Amino acid sequence: MSLESFLLLLTGGVVAGTIGTLLGIGGGLFLVPFLVLVAGIPVHQAIATSIVAVIATSSTGASVYLERGLVNMRFGMLLEVATVIGAIAGGLTANVLSGPTLTKIFATVMMVTALLMLRRSANNKHGDAPETNGAFASEFNDDASGSVVRYSVKNIPGTMAISLLAGNLSGLLGIGGGAFKVPAMHLLSGMPMKAAAATSNFMIGVTAAASAFIYFSHGHLNAVLASAAVLGVLGGSFLGTRISRRIHGKTLAWIFVGVLFLISAQMFFR
Amino acid sequence: MERAKTYERRIGLLLRAGVAVSSVLMAAGLLLATFQSAQPAVDYNPTLRELLIGLTSGQTNESTALLLMFAGLVVLMLTPFLRVLAALFAFLAEKNWRFVGVATVVFCILVGQLIYSLQ
Repeated sequence: MSLESFLLLLTGGVVAGTIGTLLGIGGGLFLVPFLVLVAGIPVHQAIATSIVAVIATSSTGASVYLERGLVNMRFGMLLEVATVIGAIAGGLTANVLSGPTLTKIFATVMMVTALLMLRRSANNKHGDAPETNGAFASEFNDDASGSVVRYSVKNIPGTMAISLLAGNLSGLLGIGGGAFKVPAMHLLSGMPMKAAAATSNFMIGVTAAASAFIYFSHGHLNAVLASAAVLGVLGGSFLGTRISRRIHGKTLAWIFVGVLFLISAQMFFR
Repeated sequence: MERAKTYERRIGLLLRAGVAVSSVLMAAGLLLATFQSAQPAVDYNPTLRELLIGLTSGQTNESTALLLMFAGLVVLMLTPFLRVLAALFAFLAEKNWRFVGVATVVFCILVGQLIYSLQ
């Protein structure tokens, strides 16, 4: 591999790792198009690299977020059950709906989610005001606002249902389910945006780990390309955790809305 | 609450260790590939067994760089499995039986998928 190719992969990895860790969506949605369209890597190798990159983002981000108390580990573990069952059931959905139909449904749901988050962010001028009388109560020090944020979780069955769908789509479309999980935890469960992104980050690595071994055993993992991209992702993930410390939850929600619109548009015009 | 936080910090440390070990292996493989005279075949894809044998044989050849990179990637891919296992032990230590059950279900599904994928 030439130095130019190495630097290109490293840079793509840094960008995907930063955004993925900051928003809790893994970064695969950026990395796959980058690897295919910019770096000219075959799609299967790009997806395999992206899945390992999601594990890198998740492991790096979660290690820092756990220390900061941002991850709601118990709630995350409960949602993981729904996610992995959804991923296994992916084959059932594939028999019912075609790939292009699924992509259109996915894009529409993303667009609606973005609009719902936009409305919530516009109405919520003073940032997160979470309820504290539900289940899975937790708290964290928010360095950006200089305060302790206390919250609890509501509407658990609804959030589990969305996680099931997220796991299902992850397996079918080769994307991380974080783009669904974060809004579900924020809008449905009432978690503060930072805690939702951190908990999603904690979860996505587990969903990706099982798929990664499938790609590895099928010989789709190119060690040189994946190592270069993953090292970039690891660097980007550390950067993402640093930015997360300084950014306000409300700003994070606005960035998330923008990214959801971009993903949705990309899916519509694919 | 404080005990739970201690376990969470330990799981965080485990994740950090997994990331550190895999980074060192991948970086070492890339460096070796850059400086060795014989370039490895880029389409070389070892099985887990070949990877273990290659790394423990003590012999170095043109594939050693790739083996190191694959070892780094596999360590990274195994890190979430270890994380779920560590959470399971943390819930066991807390005697939080409901979450022992949750973590066991997640771990069993993951291992089942892993075995299925490697067959």
